[in-house]
Amino acid sequence: MTRRLKTTAQLIAFACVAGLLALLVWSVVHQQHAPGVGSVAPSFTLRRLDGSGRVSLASYRGKPVVLNFWASWCEPCKSEAAVLERDWTSYRGRGVVFLGVDYHDLDSDARRFVSAHALTFPMLQDGSGNVTSRYGISQVPETYVLNRQGRVVAHLRGPITDPGFATQFQSAITKAAA
Amino acid sequence: MMLRFAAVLVAALVFAAPASACAHPRTSLDYLQGQVMCPTCHTTLDMSDSQAAQQIKGFIAKKVAACWTAQRIESALVANYGQAILAAPSHRGFDLLAWWLPIVGVLAGAIVLAFGVWRWSRRKEPEEPDEPTDSGLDEETERRLDDLLARFD
Repeated sequence: MTRRLKTTAQLIAFACVAGLLALLVWSVVHQQHAPGVGSVAPSFTLRRLDGSGRVSLASYRGKPVVLNFWASWCEPCKSEAAVLERDWTSYRGRGVVFLGVDYHDLDSDARRFVSAHALTFPMLQDGSGNVTSRYGISQVPETYVLNRQGRVVAHLRGPITDPGFATQFQSAITKAAA
Repeated sequence: MMLRFAAVLVAALVFAAPASACAHPRTSLDYLQGQVMCPTCHTTLDMSDSQAAQQIKGFIAKKVAACWTAQRIESALVANYGQAILAAPSHRGFDLLAWWLPIVGVLAGAIVLAFGVWRWSRRKEPEEPDEPTDSGLDEETERRLDDLLARFD
């Protein structure tokens, strides 16, 4: 009887340890990393900030996409907004799509931001940050440039207004649109 | 003098009106700061001063002033940011596991400990070895051994 009890206790302890190990392995395997240059950008479907339906990244396959992650509470995003709008108006004729992804933000504040900066490209809402974390975003603004196959051409960690990024951004769009 | 008193009274009534308009006890920013997470820094709001946290604190302060209940404010935040915005899991569905598992774990540990103590207390004391009665030697050898040992006395 005692021996059976001992074996059962040992089995339970072993199962607990095995479960914890499995959990550790799972979390290591599923850790989010920013997709590197050349890799396929993670797919997503997010709702539009203005509430008029949902947008899927896959629906833009075949077009170069500029994916900009921002938030209304982010100071550098304010200075970047005007430049993004200007670039959007100049590149849209060449089939380049600009998508803004608002991250960890209040809808009302985000809409106010869009209106205050007169942004006209599609804006999506990622309040929970699920999509953003799959892109390995640690701070906003960050921008990805994707080619027609949905592969990452460039990942800019910071505002595209930064002197170092401005030319990199332009050449990435040119490359993505080629 | 009367005019000044009337002005103070009117001002008091104007500013007190929103507070008295609450049909329930008003919640507070201080309370909710401990219940809501900062989404970018993964601490509760009261431990964060980030821009995202400041934004949510501003939202809460506005809603508290507008007489929203804590539950309504939390629901609005969950609708915007998802369930992870709350510091504690809800008391519904799968989230219940987060509340019950630690209790079950502590209980299981207590049971195992109690069983171990019970078994330990029941363990027999090792008995004193009896005086050897039989050395296993035959009489002749025993006698010779006694003689031999007697020489050393």
